[in-house]
Amino acid sequence: MFADIRWDALQEYFPLFLKGILMTAEITVISVAIGVVLGLFAGMGRISHNPIVRLIPNIYVGFFRGTPLFVQILLIHFAVLPAIFGKSPAAMVSGIVALSLNAGAYIAEIFRAGIQSIDRGQMEAARSLGLSYSQSMFHIILPQAVRRMLPPLGNEAIMLLKDSSLLAAISLPEVTYYAKLMAGKTYLAWEPYLTIALMYLVLTLLLARLVKFLERKYGTV
Amino acid sequence: MITVRNLHKSFGSLEVLKGVDCEIREGEVVCVIGPSGSGKSTFLRCLNRLEEITSGEVIVFDTNIADPKADLNAIRTEVGMVFQRFNLFPHKTVLDNITLAPQKVRRTDKAQAEANARELLRKVGLSDKANAYPNQLSGGQQQRVAIARALAMNPKVLLFDEPTSALDPEMVGEVLDVMKQLAKEGMTMVVVTHEMGFAREVGDRVFFMDQGYIMEEGVPEQIFANPQNERTQNFLSKVL
Repeated sequence: MFADIRWDALQEYFPLFLKGILMTAEITVISVAIGVVLGLFAGMGRISHNPIVRLIPNIYVGFFRGTPLFVQILLIHFAVLPAIFGKSPAAMVSGIVALSLNAGAYIAEIFRAGIQSIDRGQMEAARSLGLSYSQSMFHIILPQAVRRMLPPLGNEAIMLLKDSSLLAAISLPEVTYYAKLMAGKTYLAWEPYLTIALMYLVLTLLLARLVKFLERKYGTV
Repeated sequence: MITVRNLHKSFGSLEVLKGVDCEIREGEVVCVIGPSGSGKSTFLRCLNRLEEITSGEVIVFDTNIADPKADLNAIRTEVGMVFQRFNLFPHKTVLDNITLAPQKVRRTDKAQAEANARELLRKVGLSDKANAYPNQLSGGQQQRVAIARALAMNPKVLLFDEPTSALDPEMVGEVLDVMKQLAKEGMTMVVVTHEMGFAREVGDRVFFMDQGYIMEEGVPEQIFANPQNERTQNFLSKVL
């Protein structure tokens, strides 16, 4: 089977795969970054004592966790963003919006769990010193919570990296898009798909290493 | 300094404080004793509104903190608190634990805050631990750091919530010694404690709490030697 691998075809398309995997990495990094910000606010909103403050993040998290990412991508690219801007958005914009919103919903839960895992006495001690709620959150609770959140955050980043392959459906030129392109043009299957599978694997393994390193460096106190 | 009038506190349908009235005067040490579940800690935590107040008045330096509009952050800078479980910030060094609030709340500059912190550490006998992390310290040392942290804000009154209850017996003395020193210097203190020896020796007044009320209050000699209330007699006969 492997004796028949069409190395020549692979060689021809490999520069495109490299371009694609860079796009994959870029989209992932941007979406995780935006997702963390969204997740921070949504997560803090969900632990608010005010039911009105809780309502919006609850709906947000409920929707994005409760519907398929693929459907979210299609909805955002073909319906929501065109409705807002009056024209079809660039695939990259839709891709980042969809992945960020999806990641934000999961990261909100990671923040919520992380914050709630910190002993209540920490907030009480900070407040009893006269620090405001947000000062206590920022200086005392979040720095401790983030350390505990590293493993699940790493998981989320790995999930997002893999799920970005769904963006091929809106013709975003990431690595899966180029693999499909090669498969369509050459009628080959093993060559493009196994190659990009290995490329994803390399990235996810590197990401897992990075998380391990951060964990060891900033590990739970 | 602190006046409490008809303080009620309920957790759901459970009424923990059923009408507490008292006065804490400047410079005095008030020890609050009583059986578990009597409402001692809840009473103390109402004095800086770590617990929401169900009804009644808690007037701290002319401000009724039961009022939802009261500026709690401002009041709390003047009311220090020391917890049973220390509640030091584990991700910060001893020095940073002490300097955080003065810098963030009082806007003291870093050098000044650190100088004050080192002075306070000397006072509690922990000059050599400035750069240690809380988990590298014994319980007694952690509690002394917690006292230094509270003192760093220069509070007018210090609240102690069973400060020695989580300590190994051999470490109780070092914490009580620091508290005695503070009392001698004229710090106003409200101390919820099971250390009857401390209450007797250091307290200016003793409150005996049971079932959500202050059942009896008086000077230590009277409370310990000649309690009037039957419940006080009963309690003291078990713990002394």
